[in-house]
Amino acid sequence: MPMSRRALAAAAVTALVLPLSACGSSDGGGGATADASGKVEGDITFETWNLRANFKDYFEGLIADFEKKYPGTHVKWIDQPAEGYADKISADAAGGTLPDVVNVSPDLAAPLAKAGLALDLDKAAAKYRSEYLPGAWAGHQVPGMTGTYAFPWYLNTGPLFYNKTLFAQAGLDAAKPPRTYDELFADALQLAHKSGGKVATLANVPTIEDFGRYGSSLMNKAGTGFAFNDAKGIELLTKYKELYDAKALDPQVLTATPESTGKKFLTGAVAMNPGSALDLDHFKKQAPSLYKNIGITDQITSTGHVNMYVMGLMVNSRTKRAPAAVAFAHYVTDAEHQMSFAKKVAIFPSTAGSLDDPYFTKEDGTDETRVRVAAAKSLKNAVNYTPVLFSEQMKTALRNEVAKALQGKQSPKEALDNAVKACDLLLQQQG
Amino acid sequence: MPPTRSTPAVPRTRPARPARSTVRRPARLAGRRPARLPVSRVRRQLPTSPWLFAAPGLLVTGVFILYPFLSTVANAFTDRRTLVPGRFVGLANFRELLHDDMFWIALRNSVLYIAGVVPALVILPLLLALLVRKNIPGIAFFRSAFYTPVVASIVVVGLIWVWLLDERGLVNALLQTVGLDRVGFLSDQWLLLISAMTVTVWKGLGYYMIVYLAALANVPRELHEAAAVDGAGAVRRFLTVTVPAVRSTMVLVAALSSVAAFKVFSEVYLMAGPSGGPAGEDTTLVMLVQRTGTGLSGRVGYASALSLVVFVVTVVLMLLVLRADRKEES
Repeated sequence: MPMSRRALAAAAVTALVLPLSACGSSDGGGGATADASGKVEGDITFETWNLRANFKDYFEGLIADFEKKYPGTHVKWIDQPAEGYADKISADAAGGTLPDVVNVSPDLAAPLAKAGLALDLDKAAAKYRSEYLPGAWAGHQVPGMTGTYAFPWYLNTGPLFYNKTLFAQAGLDAAKPPRTYDELFADALQLAHKSGGKVATLANVPTIEDFGRYGSSLMNKAGTGFAFNDAKGIELLTKYKELYDAKALDPQVLTATPESTGKKFLTGAVAMNPGSALDLDHFKKQAPSLYKNIGITDQITSTGHVNMYVMGLMVNSRTKRAPAAVAFAHYVTDAEHQMSFAKKVAIFPSTAGSLDDPYFTKEDGTDETRVRVAAAKSLKNAVNYTPVLFSEQMKTALRNEVAKALQGKQSPKEALDNAVKACDLLLQQQG
Repeated sequence: MPPTRSTPAVPRTRPARPARSTVRRPARLAGRRPARLPVSRVRRQLPTSPWLFAAPGLLVTGVFILYPFLSTVANAFTDRRTLVPGRFVGLANFRELLHDDMFWIALRNSVLYIAGVVPALVILPLLLALLVRKNIPGIAFFRSAFYTPVVASIVVVGLIWVWLLDERGLVNALLQTVGLDRVGFLSDQWLLLISAMTVTVWKGLGYYMIVYLAALANVPRELHEAAAVDGAGAVRRFLTVTVPAVRSTMVLVAALSSVAAFKVFSEVYLMAGPSGGPAGEDTTLVMLVQRTGTGLSGRVGYASALSLVVFVVTVVLMLLVLRADRKEES
């Protein structure tokens, strides 16, 4: 049948209107409805964040044990590369192909919970709540919503590494690294001055975590707006501006990424870098000469609480196998399996009592155990400073305004006021 | 009597349409008696056949080009986010982008990118092509060498240039060796943009060189000889013989490279970082689209509006180049 122009036009209009038909009000969010009671059986998918390369055997063993414990279950494991993980999840979520159990951080869980794609574990898995550290369980709660949207999995925190050689060359006592912000800023200025601006102390601009650690109240109490433009926030940015002007920050600090700052420290271009217990092994392999001269000191904080990173396992609220998905997410994150995972890699369990295990309390004289014990101790009152509603777009907005302040294009106050305004607008748009 | 399968016949009242002969032709070519189809079947099938042949291509175009494009157009008028369908908001996204400082920065950078890259990519590959078309020993090596960046991965190329231009990279080390200060190729807003342009030009040279080599092969040698006899030197022969002869190719190169330059992403992203350089001052339009529209909190509606602007500007660019070419010809 020949296709008439009218038919062609109709097809074109339909194609144009079809996407619009998807428009409408959001279907709510929150509200996770899948029923997690019932028999644990069926096929589920499990997505992790860049873990296959190093922990293939561990996860395959874990899955086999689960399938053995619950006959009739089958877990398909998918691992995604670190790069673009959020984009992959968002594509899956938008396309309705989100796996049943997904590895998330709180800032990834929040939008999924708001879109109604995360199972509320306070309803579906309340009986497991007491197994986890209260702070870790609360880590996946979203301001403005009731409920908890992921099982807490592993935690991480870390010390501040410094290059003893560079400290000594600047006339600083390498045995006495800075412990307060004032000491840090003073040492950084001295390092820059003594090296004629050739050695910087830090290679990163202050992030939301830094503002939190310095004592700025990041959000208002209701969680409806940002507040890092307070006196503490302005003070921190003013100090960083002084460092930037004195060349105590790396010249490429305004375009730095976490990877590039790590490389700067490895090559001796900067004297200090925050890291984790994971980095020690990296230093040993990648920069043996640096490793011999590495000093390790505690994270600097004005609040008494160090920063921690939280990983979680979210259960897709639209899973057809809710009992199996909840059982598996709990199985992976229970005390026994978190402990066994922590012995494979330098991470810390989020289950109650696990950090009291001798593995996390006794040193054997090596740097590894020293860092591990110190980190485990600090985790007991650590805080995840990154607000769960702080999206990538907000990070960029803050970063750009901070850069303008460091370049002298605007005052620290103006920069932070603008950043708060931009982040509030984005928060409002998130709904 | 209506034609049947057993008594095939061509109705006298309606002359055979040219298409019918095409139905028979393959059988004739095969040297067999043509298997004639019943007229009713022929009538029914023939107008559909071209569509069936085109169907795979149309399907791919429709699914992967037309539908996403129409979807983008539709989304541009909504406040859609990655996980939220959104509502129709009319021209609100377009009004917002007019007041968005980052949009104007990105537009400025994309336009500057065209201004910096296109002239270089129109002229330099032509000179390179003139150089490597000579038949001298070892020239094949240089042809291959100049083409190598084209086939290299942009990520690899980007990383190599980042290493070269780093504060402690090879270029700065060389500058220091000759007593000069280090240059902030990757920390200064303008130097970063120029560095990214350099990478784009370096990577594109080989491709356009091949295009020019093909065009130069069609320039009659006699023209050069005649000009030489008339006393024209190398520069004059280049300007009066070579350039006019490859003018349409130059227009093609200008059109292709300006569209590519306007849509630049990888080079700037790799060299300036995901935030788009210091304070985002090196962000290009496509980077802004990516940054705005992706992620779990991506503003798909607003990013679609930005994409439409990129599309419109690209089309206008193409039309301007083609119009300039037509004017020149007339």
